[in-house]
Amino acid sequence: MKLVEIRDVSKIYNPGENEVKALNHVSISIGKGEFVAIIGQSGSGKSTLMNMLGCLDTPTSGKYFLHGQDVSHMTDDEQSDVRNREIGFIFQGFNLIPSLTALENVELPLIYRGVGKKERERLANAALNSVGLEKRKTHRPNEMSGGQQQRVAIARAIAQAPPILLADEPTGNLDTASTKEIIRIIKRLYYEGRTVIIITHDPGIAQQAKRIITISDGMIKSDIINPDYRDEI
Amino acid sequence: MFAEYIKSALASIRNNKGRSFLTMLGIIIGISAVLTVLIIGDGMKARVNSEFDTIGATTISVSLDVTKTDKFFEKEDFLKIEEVMDNIYGISPSLDAFGTAATGRDVFDMVMNGGSEAAENAAGVTMVSGRFYNKSDVEGSNKVIVISQIGAQKLFGYEDVVGKTIELTNDNMSCEFTVIGVKKNSNQDTAYASFGEDAMLIGLMPYTSMADAFNLDINNFFTGFTIYLESEKKDAVLKSARSVVENVMGLRGENAVKLSSGLGFDQTTDSILNIITSVVAIIAAISLLVGGIGVMNIMTVSVTERTREIGIRKSLGARTSSILTQFLAEAAILTFTGGIIGIILGLTISFIICRIVDFVFVVNPLLVLGVVGISTAIGLFFGIYPAKRAAALDPIDALRTE
Repeated sequence: MKLVEIRDVSKIYNPGENEVKALNHVSISIGKGEFVAIIGQSGSGKSTLMNMLGCLDTPTSGKYFLHGQDVSHMTDDEQSDVRNREIGFIFQGFNLIPSLTALENVELPLIYRGVGKKERERLANAALNSVGLEKRKTHRPNEMSGGQQQRVAIARAIAQAPPILLADEPTGNLDTASTKEIIRIIKRLYYEGRTVIIITHDPGIAQQAKRIITISDGMIKSDIINPDYRDEI
Repeated sequence: MFAEYIKSALASIRNNKGRSFLTMLGIIIGISAVLTVLIIGDGMKARVNSEFDTIGATTISVSLDVTKTDKFFEKEDFLKIEEVMDNIYGISPSLDAFGTAATGRDVFDMVMNGGSEAAENAAGVTMVSGRFYNKSDVEGSNKVIVISQIGAQKLFGYEDVVGKTIELTNDNMSCEFTVIGVKKNSNQDTAYASFGEDAMLIGLMPYTSMADAFNLDINNFFTGFTIYLESEKKDAVLKSARSVVENVMGLRGENAVKLSSGLGFDQTTDSILNIITSVVAIIAAISLLVGGIGVMNIMTVSVTERTREIGIRKSLGARTSSILTQFLAEAAILTFTGGIIGIILGLTISFIICRIVDFVFVVNPLLVLGVVGISTAIGLFFGIYPAKRAAALDPIDALRTE
């Protein structure tokens, strides 16, 4: 079984007369170590798909197996545990906690995992070093640029080494230079063996991935190996 | 893990210093008000009790209606009634006479009060040295006397006078009495002795001795006596006293026995003071309630403001219980800290007030512990609603919030 197995998943909002089929019998499987972009316009269902993939939401019908475990029908707390163990999130708006320093932000998922203080600091420091922020550890989010904040968010996503990195429009709020930097880091993480899934509406970003899945009206329109993929950082 | 929640709660309190302080202020005022009232109430009680230096037992007065009978209580009647009646300390008649008390040093007017050994239960009797007269003193008409500290001072110039003799004179008859005990000054002792040249002393002695010494006829004299008893037994004694007295005196069916009861000073004043203290404490507790609602209010605002943060934490793997604990810890820390500051403030204020109005400053450690407990409990109680709201947030909705 693949790392991510979505089988015939539908998500229906407002069941009844005004129902919205955000996902309509979608099946996707993604193997370990893949680099996938999911591209779609707004309203295409890509956010719903991303929530599904990230175990933030459960399907109305169909099955989702993550790492061989059926995660389609779980309690809130079980979902929390799966997210903590399996998924590193990178959001468009960075989603750092403003009252915490960079280091404390990166430590958060480790706290919820129950990692002891010493080990936690070691892992969080290593993660921040790997995104080149060793000098910003004690800074709070409002003392950093957008690119730096996103790098903290990436460090947080990889600190406890989850199998999947799920990036939702990771460069949506960034200027060109920062975008390049973030893409470079994401690609490097892929080369280091992580499974990376990027959700985006931007074909330029999607072009960076090895496999491109196009979603529209809640259905998969195409699922191709990117012919223009370049194996470089 | 719990330490992390505390840390994160502290960080959030630090980040909103002004607001956290204002929230705490409600708790501080409430806690310090309650504490101040209770401590001052205790001080007030201690002060009032020391004013009435001795507190007598509960009493019931029994008297014969002289319009319905011409009988009198005699010595044997008292003994018999005392023997038959249950649940009492004892009964005592009261024989009063006015005379003088003389020592080699000085002579003073004296109010002589004769009673039975049960009179030791009367208000104003606390021995400092020696003993009160006992049953055999009464039986044997022993010429013994109990005087107050101030009486000893006046008559002898010092207080340690057990064993000394005083010559008592009444109606030109004199008799030597031996001091067997010195008691603490009652308000009456102090008041009587303060008349300067006309100062009067009070002497307590067996009524039998007094009658014997001054040739008083006590066989056709007493129409009443006092029962001393424990306050809890009052109802039972009131029920049985009339028939006991009627039986002993042969007055069945003549409706000639009258009873009247008085609470001891202790119960009356204590219960009045307790009522006053509790009423004021309840009013103070209302401010505590208002403070608690303030905590709930601010926690609700905090949850709304931090909806996104809650979403982030959940997406990173925070369980419902983690979020609940974090917010509860925040509320509990706010009220606990407020409680501690309130206690310090309350102790200071009550100390100052007790100094000013000259009350004893007594602090019951249990009271302080209780107050700390209450303040933390308020935090948890009023924190639960907002914390539950926070914990129940859907991470998707929470992340979508700007």
